[in-house]
Amino acid sequence: MAELAAMKPQRESFWRSRVWKRFRRNPLALVGTAIVIFYVLVAIFAPALTADRMGRNCLRDLGLKRSEAVRVLRNPLHPVFWRATLAPPKSCYRIPRKGYSPVPKPPSKKYPLGLAGGGYDIYYGLVWGTRTAFYVGILVVGIALLIGILIGGASGFLGGWVDNLLMRFTDVIYAFPGLVLVMVVVTIFGRSLTTIMLAIAVVAWPTYARMLRGNILKTKAQDYVDAARALGAGGLRIFLKHVLPNSIGPLIILASLDIGSIVLSVAALSFLGLGPGVGFADWGQMVNFARGWIVGPPGEPLKYWYTWVWPSLMIALFVLGWNLLGDAVRDALDPRS
Amino acid sequence: MLTFTVRRLLQLPLVLFAVSLIIVGMMQFLPPSARAAAFVKSEQQLAHIDEIIKQYHLDAPFYVQYWTWLQNALHGNFGFSRVAKKPVLEAFAEKLPVSAELAFYAFFPMLIVSIWLGTLAAIHRDKLIDQIVRVLAVLFWSIPTFVLGIALVAVVYGYLRLFGIGRLPSNLIIELAQASAAGKFHYYTGFLTLDGLLNGRLDVTLAALKHLVLPALTLILVQGAQLVRVMRSSMLDELGKDYVRTARAKGLPDRVVYYKHARRNALIPIITLAGLMFAFMINGVVITETIFNLPGLGQWAALAAVQLDQPAILGFALLTAVIVTTANIVVDLLYALVDPRIRYE
Repeated sequence: MAELAAMKPQRESFWRSRVWKRFRRNPLALVGTAIVIFYVLVAIFAPALTADRMGRNCLRDLGLKRSEAVRVLRNPLHPVFWRATLAPPKSCYRIPRKGYSPVPKPPSKKYPLGLAGGGYDIYYGLVWGTRTAFYVGILVVGIALLIGILIGGASGFLGGWVDNLLMRFTDVIYAFPGLVLVMVVVTIFGRSLTTIMLAIAVVAWPTYARMLRGNILKTKAQDYVDAARALGAGGLRIFLKHVLPNSIGPLIILASLDIGSIVLSVAALSFLGLGPGVGFADWGQMVNFARGWIVGPPGEPLKYWYTWVWPSLMIALFVLGWNLLGDAVRDALDPRS
Repeated sequence: MLTFTVRRLLQLPLVLFAVSLIIVGMMQFLPPSARAAAFVKSEQQLAHIDEIIKQYHLDAPFYVQYWTWLQNALHGNFGFSRVAKKPVLEAFAEKLPVSAELAFYAFFPMLIVSIWLGTLAAIHRDKLIDQIVRVLAVLFWSIPTFVLGIALVAVVYGYLRLFGIGRLPSNLIIELAQASAAGKFHYYTGFLTLDGLLNGRLDVTLAALKHLVLPALTLILVQGAQLVRVMRSSMLDELGKDYVRTARAKGLPDRVVYYKHARRNALIPIITLAGLMFAFMINGVVITETIFNLPGLGQWAALAAVQLDQPAILGFALLTAVIVTTANIVVDLLYALVDPRIRYE
């Protein structure tokens, strides 16, 4: 048995591969990874980070009293900690308000990043907005990948006029300004987080479809595909067992790195006022709150700086992290470099 | 070249047909009364929606509806925009020059600067200048358009009191409205910087330019960053090729090798990207116009989307598609002109 195992072709370990070495030596890659990990941690521990400022409805849905919230939500041994961390009720995504004054309030001890107009707690919005960002980013990339794999796969596998038709259709969507198309979808289907995610996925898939099609065409020309065909394997079997698994890898990696730019699109939409509804914790909306307060009163032009600086930083840093990471991975995967 | 041109031009109606099918197809998700708005020509008609539904067969099967819609669209009737309080086509024609002017002042400087910086970085690979360009490029590439726009408004306009917001200072807007009504100021092109010159009003040109600086800068920085990155890597590719080594071996001066040999070839991918950039620029224009309060297509579209002004959005999308596909075809033709290999693909 041991001999048989030894005869199996050894796969090169990932940790020793050239790709990993190249990635590890790139300082920008490490910065990018650190930034992304920071955001992942903020997203995971959002309930603990905001335990002292939870909204009333969120506490009620978690079955907590305000006096015990901090103790419970920062105690990993308590079951409610896990409930809040893994599956928080929807009401926790609503930003709690301190008063209803339309004028923003500067940072204070209780509200370290200040209050946006309408009394929205900026810190809370940003922390929970991180969760929204990951949720949206991962889901949109997933949906777009699915569409891209179906269309690119059909195109590459079937070839001929189907390929031609699908690719021309892809070209149309690809060449169209994404934001305009998203705006069309949102105006027709109404404003909600789901619509926005679907709309962005509808715009994002053409890159994946094209990439997959290209990979499939390359893989199809490989000798092992001919070998499988010579052994009598059917078309669909060859495609699913040999061609697709060997074409899809890099696509999934590269697609997952698009989370940054997807979150950016969502933030842009929210900023325009096409977001998931007032009060929902989402970065673009936090910037939208600041729209009337960018330039302060005469004499104090930067009076309300905190309303736009913090949300802007949060978004820009997130996108920067993903872009650095993406660049590094692309460089590492590119055999020419 | 001729067959290539003809083939490309034949694609234009096909693409537009596809886009219009998608758009009219999506309209089917709206109730007939909302769809009717796409056929309204004036505000008064909004009271007679039921008649319009009948008249335009809005309860008929899809192909009948598409046919009616197409006939209307070909006659320039895209419905009535509640936000602009005008028929869609009229609003589009009125707002197009504002956006085109912004795009003009952003696009060409961006192209020139990013080609220059990208080349510079590639020639001095891994030197200080390259590092600076690369870090700046990835930074600006990561800054969302609206974030940069807001920062510029707050710091440059608000704090430093430079440049301006809107299209013109309000006193000039009033003055021009009066002058235009009195026939003393003519909007020949709709480009204020140009109309100012044509009317002999240098102050208008200067004021308009001053108000274009910040929005144009926003677009240049965010979109140029990407172009710099592509230019740099394209130039690096070319510099690594054999013909560059041959040119060097012949003893040609560096300047000739870089600018006459390598850069000319490195520009080829930039042409394709510039075509796509044009589409990205429309995205950017929607956001910059909203932030800098420029009454152009983008601001109109953003407002229309927020207020669910469907005819405006659908018309805007379709007319944008016309512009973008035309631009892409022009780019393709340019591409084929510059690089003869493309024609034989």
